[in-house]
Amino acid sequence: MSRSLKKGPFVQAKLLKKVEAMNRTGKKAVIKTWSRASTVFPQMVGHTIAIHDGRRHVPIYIAENMVGHRLGEFAPTRFFRGHVRTEKRSAR
Amino acid sequence: MAKKKQTAQQPYLVVGQIVAPHGIRGEVKVEVMSDNPERFKAGAELYLSSTPEGADARPVRLATSRPHQNRMLVRLATTPDRNAAETLRGLYLLIPEADAMALGEHENFVHDLIGLRVETTAGEALGKIVEIVFTPANDVYVARGEAGEVLLPATREVVRSVDLAARTMVVELPEGLREPAEPDDADDEQAADAGADEPAAA
Repeated sequence: MSRSLKKGPFVQAKLLKKVEAMNRTGKKAVIKTWSRASTVFPQMVGHTIAIHDGRRHVPIYIAENMVGHRLGEFAPTRFFRGHVRTEKRSAR
Repeated sequence: MAKKKQTAQQPYLVVGQIVAPHGIRGEVKVEVMSDNPERFKAGAELYLSSTPEGADARPVRLATSRPHQNRMLVRLATTPDRNAAETLRGLYLLIPEADAMALGEHENFVHDLIGLRVETTAGEALGKIVEIVFTPANDVYVARGEAGEVLLPATREVVRSVDLAARTMVVELPEGLREPAEPDDADDEQAADAGADEPAAA
């Protein structure tokens, strides 16, 4: 069963408070969080949030198309580590 | 005139690994290790080898190919049935490095980035790139040095320049990236997550 609309999307209050404080001052800094269940709010767009993956904080730049998803979706907890030279690229 | 020494073996890149045969018509499941969507088109010519370096590479042509559950189902022109396909289990599909896809302005191959020395715009050495974490958002470069591990988001604001010839990457460290999280944050946030769907106490 999905979450009640009456409650609105979940976000950890402390996290949203930090983001809104930075928006007020125009400051940009990485915020570390363990709250993988928090929903990405429009206020977070343009900030970098380091999301805990169970071992370390993975820095994720929040883009507009991520709004409405949970933070945990962007910090995978399992990795495939290859050792061979492949035709895989990394873009910035 | 002295005979010229034979040139080194042609370097290859791995584009896939054959996992297992599929069905009875000679198809094999291939774990794709390439970002080029055209790489496994029917009729494409690849190299087959038992090692990722291509020690015994021999050319093969793809007769058919189709996507299947995050993998490709491929039939080589030389494998008419399952018995022939069984012999391919575990082999690598390669391309010559010279045939690799063209890259955009802000793109690099993963194998070129691994091992780069990372330094900040202020000149501080952070170590070498040892791993790249692929996420649904941005890639993350893991730099490991004497001071420990630093995870760098692969964005243009952070990664200022990559010099493959000099094997260096210059980064602008964003504020707060290396600072430890507030000690009480972990417990608070885990408790909040656990109680996210519970009604507030009366």
